[in-house]
Amino acid sequence: MKKKILSMFLCAAMAVTLIAGCGAPAAETGGNDNTGDKTSETSKGIPKDEIKVGFVHVSDPSDMGYTYNQDLGTQEMQKALGLSDDQIVNKYNVPEGAECDTALRELVDAGCNIIFATSFGFEDYVKEVAAEYPDIEFCHATGYQAKDSGLDNFHNYFASIYEGRYLAGIAAGMKTETNKLGYVAAFPFAEVISGYTAFYLGAKSVNPDVTMDIMYTNSWNDPTVESQVAKALIDRGCDVISQHSDSTAPATTAEENGVWQVGYNNDMIDAAPDASLISPRIDWGIYVTEAVQAVINGDEIPVDWCKGLADGAVYLSPLNTAIAAEGTQEAIDAAKEKIISGDLHVFAGPLKGVSPEGEEYDVAEGDYYHEQEDASAPSWQYIIEGCNVVE
Amino acid sequence: MLNTLNGLLIAAVLAGTPLLLGALGEILTEKSGNLNLGVEGMMFMGAITGLAGSYYYEQGVISSGGTPNGVVSALIALAVSFIAGAFGALIYSFLTITLRANQNVTGLTLTIFGTGFGNFFGEYIGQNAGGYVAVSTVTKNAFSRLNIPVLSDIPVLGPLLFQYNWLVYFAIVLAVIMAWFFNRSRVGLNLRAVGEDPATADAAGINITAYKYAATVIGGGICGIGGMYMSMVTTSGVWVHDCVSGYGWLAVALVIFATWRPAKGILVAIVFGGLTVMRMYVNIPGLPAQIYDMLPYVATIVVLVVTSMRESREHAQPKSCGLNYFREER
Repeated sequence: MKKKILSMFLCAAMAVTLIAGCGAPAAETGGNDNTGDKTSETSKGIPKDEIKVGFVHVSDPSDMGYTYNQDLGTQEMQKALGLSDDQIVNKYNVPEGAECDTALRELVDAGCNIIFATSFGFEDYVKEVAAEYPDIEFCHATGYQAKDSGLDNFHNYFASIYEGRYLAGIAAGMKTETNKLGYVAAFPFAEVISGYTAFYLGAKSVNPDVTMDIMYTNSWNDPTVESQVAKALIDRGCDVISQHSDSTAPATTAEENGVWQVGYNNDMIDAAPDASLISPRIDWGIYVTEAVQAVINGDEIPVDWCKGLADGAVYLSPLNTAIAAEGTQEAIDAAKEKIISGDLHVFAGPLKGVSPEGEEYDVAEGDYYHEQEDASAPSWQYIIEGCNVVE
Repeated sequence: MLNTLNGLLIAAVLAGTPLLLGALGEILTEKSGNLNLGVEGMMFMGAITGLAGSYYYEQGVISSGGTPNGVVSALIALAVSFIAGAFGALIYSFLTITLRANQNVTGLTLTIFGTGFGNFFGEYIGQNAGGYVAVSTVTKNAFSRLNIPVLSDIPVLGPLLFQYNWLVYFAIVLAVIMAWFFNRSRVGLNLRAVGEDPATADAAGINITAYKYAATVIGGGICGIGGMYMSMVTTSGVWVHDCVSGYGWLAVALVIFATWRPAKGILVAIVFGGLTVMRMYVNIPGLPAQIYDMLPYVATIVVLVVTSMRESREHAQPKSCGLNYFREER
């Protein structure tokens, strides 16, 4: 039956593309003229009131999580640079498939000078379209391919969220009573594994007996499955639920079942006031503002951009002091200082892990894994002892 | 082991309830000889209107200085989602019964329309509310699990039988009433006659058009309530893009699985719900999640094959289902 819907949507998409295709020539000529002008101007940059910024999102701000947080960054950039609403074009709810290619081309046709694609699965499409339009800057969040792509207009960006997750893990480790954490994880990818390993290590740093169950939803944003997975974890005895998935469903499920939760991307205390302890967040606005400013000035955008706690690109939502364990804030503050000063490394040895493909990896005592230092994308993909993947 | 089984059963009931409601609506519709494939669409319409009903009720009460009442809010969600689903079905009825449009095409169109309707208004209301739309704790509590004194506290049986949200009990009672209606009441008999052989029923003096309209519209309303379950219970009163996500199609499959019997629908809805959440509770090492996700559909195919092999006349699709009735063609 799902196939039926899929094929229906594909037909609908084809029909829309057809219509769009018919309507395009007139618009395209206009667009081409513009591009022509811009090419000569690229070196000088683009006047602020002429720039157009495009975004492709996998969900929309109603998820109150990932895309909501991305959208806050957009608003921050808009405010900082003083752009008008029609200079920003958002494409929401774009699946990680051929629809992304269509959305990117629509943004190109709309005359965007810089396009941000914010979901991991968009990267192949971004790379392809970026190669065709060398005058337009393409920035892809969470990806890793820009460096080796050989394209000057294709960039990756992310924040070292693992630092924030480590700190949030401290709150979870101090709160848990069953010494069992649960983690609603999207996919067995490095981005996710790095996140939950950091979260677990944070919890373990204050509670050596803690273990963690991890269950995958195989989707970035599927509230129904997220809440079912959260419930299943709670049934397994987990009493603090964290997540690498986009919606607030794990938070509301945790609240309904009387356990605690650590969010992601957004202060989820509004959604679950009696459950949500704290959330690590990314301030996307810093990068988005920098990148758009670079296009205005005619400057280069870095191939890989990654900042963390020290620069405020990663931060924590306020601790829910009404339910957090005593001394949590102090423990977090102490660890935060050490991370910023470089005294504390999240992936510090001795650490032993196995990747989902079975590859083993050892970090020796005294050494540490240089996560997100050479590339903006997380690369720690080894499951360590104490993390129990349920599948 | 027992705990896992309990957890699985409870999760199965929770996952199965929207399916049961969708399937009950579709059974009622199909009994009148209308095959409405717009279940998904009507569920979407019910999902957003139910949420919007509660949300605007709360906003209205708060802005006039009062405190919203959870029960009132829940009843408003119930009524509004029923009306929205019924409205979707009314469009379908008008097109197929009065204008005699093709039932399959009309149903599929209704699915596309309803999906767009739900997501459009969900985002519209969300953006007006400042990013996202969510009901307050009062309404959330009205849709969270019940706590019946004494009964809910019985070990094992309490959580298993007496700790669901009220919509679960509503759906089960509805299924029982519907079973009685089809098999024990005069009107139910007439309705079945309409679905089996409208020409004969017409000759017996039954008003075919009225029966078809009533059954389809009420059936659509029940599907709408199923959709409201998704937005109010599954996602806890927060509008989430695409929240029905294929449950409407599962409900259509469930009708076949239940062999058009509402009471059997209760059981198979729990089985279906169980199959959708099984991978989170029963772990077979090495079996990928995708295989688990296929299980409800595989089960439907198996049931289809088995029922068609048995050639049971009693528990089969109503004979005229999918065909429009032209009195002049008799």
